[in-house]
Amino acid sequence: MAPKKKEEPKPAAAAPAPKPPEPERPKTPEFDPATVTLEFTPEQIEDFKDSFQLFDRTPANEMKITYAQCGDLIRALGQNPTNTEIMNVLGKPKPEDMQTKMLDFDQFLPMLQHICKAKDRGTYEDFVEGLRVFDKEGNGTVMGAELRHVLATLGEKMNEGEVEQLMQNQEDANGCINYEAFVKYIMAT
Amino acid sequence: MGCGVTKSNQFHKNSGKAVTSIKAAILIQRWYRQYVARTEMRRKYTWHIFQSIEYSGEQAQIKLYNFLGYLMDNFTPTSNERNLISHIFRDNDVCRDTEWERFFCYKKIEVPEIYSGPHLTFPLTVEQAVGLVEAFRNKKQLHSRYVLQLLLETLKQIRMLPNINRISTCQSKEITICGDLHGQLEDLLLIFYKNDMPSMEKPYVFNGDFVDRGSDSIEILLILFSFLLVYPSEVHLNRGNHEDHIVNLRYGFTKEVLTKYKMHGKRILKLLQEIFSWLPLATVIDQKVLVLHGGISDTTDLSVLARVDRHSYVSALRPPKKRNQSSATSSIDIDMEGDILSHIKLTQRRTSLTYPKPLARDIFQNRSLQDFSGLIKGNMVDDVEIHRKRPSISIQGIIKPENETTQAASSESVNSENVNDEWKQILDLLWSDPMNQNGCVPNEVRGGGCYWGPDVTEDFLNRHNLQLIIRSHECKQDGYEFCHNRKVLTLFSASNYYDVGSNRGAYVKLGPDLVPYLIQYQASSMIRELTVRQSVGRTERSALKVLREQLFAHKSDLACAFKMVDRKNTGYVNVHNWASAVESVMHLGLPWRMLRYQLVTSKTSDGMINYHEWFNDLAIKGTNTDHINQSLLETLYRHRSTLETIFRIVDTDNSGFITMEDFRQTWKLLSVYLKMEITDDAISDLAVTIDRNQDGSIDIDEFMEAFRLTDKKSRLERGRSMFMGTATDLTKLEGDLNI
Repeated sequence: MAPKKKEEPKPAAAAPAPKPPEPERPKTPEFDPATVTLEFTPEQIEDFKDSFQLFDRTPANEMKITYAQCGDLIRALGQNPTNTEIMNVLGKPKPEDMQTKMLDFDQFLPMLQHICKAKDRGTYEDFVEGLRVFDKEGNGTVMGAELRHVLATLGEKMNEGEVEQLMQNQEDANGCINYEAFVKYIMAT
Repeated sequence: MGCGVTKSNQFHKNSGKAVTSIKAAILIQRWYRQYVARTEMRRKYTWHIFQSIEYSGEQAQIKLYNFLGYLMDNFTPTSNERNLISHIFRDNDVCRDTEWERFFCYKKIEVPEIYSGPHLTFPLTVEQAVGLVEAFRNKKQLHSRYVLQLLLETLKQIRMLPNINRISTCQSKEITICGDLHGQLEDLLLIFYKNDMPSMEKPYVFNGDFVDRGSDSIEILLILFSFLLVYPSEVHLNRGNHEDHIVNLRYGFTKEVLTKYKMHGKRILKLLQEIFSWLPLATVIDQKVLVLHGGISDTTDLSVLARVDRHSYVSALRPPKKRNQSSATSSIDIDMEGDILSHIKLTQRRTSLTYPKPLARDIFQNRSLQDFSGLIKGNMVDDVEIHRKRPSISIQGIIKPENETTQAASSESVNSENVNDEWKQILDLLWSDPMNQNGCVPNEVRGGGCYWGPDVTEDFLNRHNLQLIIRSHECKQDGYEFCHNRKVLTLFSASNYYDVGSNRGAYVKLGPDLVPYLIQYQASSMIRELTVRQSVGRTERSALKVLREQLFAHKSDLACAFKMVDRKNTGYVNVHNWASAVESVMHLGLPWRMLRYQLVTSKTSDGMINYHEWFNDLAIKGTNTDHINQSLLETLYRHRSTLETIFRIVDTDNSGFITMEDFRQTWKLLSVYLKMEITDDAISDLAVTIDRNQDGSIDIDEFMEAFRLTDKKSRLERGRSMFMGTATDLTKLEGDLNI
């Protein structure tokens, strides 16, 4: 009798197309604005209102923005969430809703608060650590081409135009980027 | 299994690295997206700053104009002030054909041997037109003799054109349409480079606003006119709101021509005034696409527009001149007294057709013409006499004529109705802007025309059986913008309009399928070198600088506003009060809270703003003006555009000089307009500073410069200072009277 070939749970890497696994999606609970306590000062809220108003494109200045604008506004206010996190606070809307559904300032605030409280914001060291992964020669530089490839294919992929804009004038004559300088540049908004 | 374990180890090592890579990627992507969002935010409010200031400048222009008009109606004939300004309301007297050639005779103008610019012979050839472009590219100037000749030929040509050009894309020709150029020759050259110059195969439509603000308005006009002469069926020009001599007084074109053509500038301007009034109003392509400069309103009717006598609207800002002038008794100028009655009616309507109101986000304050009635009656300037026959000025500021005059008015009223309807049509066509909401409301921001909504577009297109409106008039970051369900296309061809890097320009090509194909560009090689962040940063710094100047110019009012909040006179206000006080004075609708970090450098730790210190930071240093009263200086600074405009109006022979006496009268005028006291002593002080050679005349440019009212440095650099309302970068041809 042939030995029963036990179906071992084969690791994904052994599968025909070796693909790096997507990062574990943490089981994010459904976002419930009611559970968020606002900790902003009145001053801060006034500031946010100003910015909110700048994004408001409704004809009658109704103080509403589209779902699609929400992420941009949160980022403009100094946070740096991932797209996934944004979709989460928006309640995981359908793609077609992004341009049509609106939210007002009161709905926006808990979303912003939630993002503000998120840990793992990313420090200078985190960045440099991350980039060091691509530093093949351990000399403080990464290949521009490789970085472009990574940014366009991994994680929350960037498109060609975005990559180009980010990397504009960053590479030296050999196509290398000094990543510590690069990180300083990105963080210096 | 051994294999599996090894592989497993390998996998873990790989996957560990992979996971880190991914985390790194995500981190960078997050930060990048934040950077983009913040840059975009800065770009948004920078844009907002420039645009608010631009529109409030235009509004100020209209307000000034209305004020002058009101003065005209209320001064006695003998009053000095009236004489100063009456000529801008006077009909264009040189309008008979036989006199034209004599007045604008270029034949006696000799072209000296040392002249190195292009020589033109008529009829113009293609080679000459192309040669002209080359010459201008090489910074040559066309001699005034040829300028006059070219303009005369142009006038002969365009007089024959209809109000609405109707053209087609037959023979699979693509038509190229360009928007506002505003004297930016570099952009026109770039368009020609990318798209070839006009020719039989390359028809063009130029959609108005060729002049003002940029430094090469006259060159652009000459190029466009040459091609118009050479290819009359392929080149089409629409009139813009800046093809208007009154607007030109403020926005730099008048100054440019007078500077470049010292000897013959006046005649050139006069001839251009005529040409502008003969420019067609709109173009229709394949009976489906309407191209016009500003826009439409809910009353726009192409059949009315096709019929109007466009020539009688020399300036869109003033009511049309009356053809049949009924004579009356008094001794005033023929044109004025002849139709005082219809003029009264026109004045009544004029109050409703132009709306000088501040830009505000929600409610528009009412500061239109009627307010002047109060200040004329109350705050008196010695020489002003109110016409005794019109004592009662009602709340609406409508002048109530005496009984005997009303009867005569009624017979003329029918004519006036038509005239005014036509006038409104033209005003709307040249000045309107689209808006997102339905409806049609007066355009109080600009002071003329309407804001029209998508429903108006829909209705208009259906009524006229059209499918698209192409218009210009508004600067757009990408050079173009669709709205109203892609039924309206705004096209703007002056890149870097607000500042280097602020926006691209665009032109559109339409083939027989009438699908718009857009091409964008940006002049100046400097741009390509800058990264997005750098260029946004530059523009932002520029906008903030301008904003600071504006704030400084309103120092007194701001101080008042702060004091009202700071009752205990501590010298501090909190951010909220600061923001609302600033907005209440400036009326620009800007996000002040957001801007405070860039505008206010001094601040205490608990978030209060020390406003005295702030004023000191904003202060602009004057030169030798210590003996001049500070608040007067501030007034001068704030209203410098208006001041210069009034000077140029008063300078009837366009010489650049005004007499001492006129200078005094101008101040009186200004003091009434601004509702402030300017004493005779103060005026003498000013005069003394300027009229150094004591010859009784004042050089306008010198005056403006002496009080740092123009920034000399930016005059010499490339670029314009629209916020001064004058064209800068005028390389004065020192003593070159040959041109």
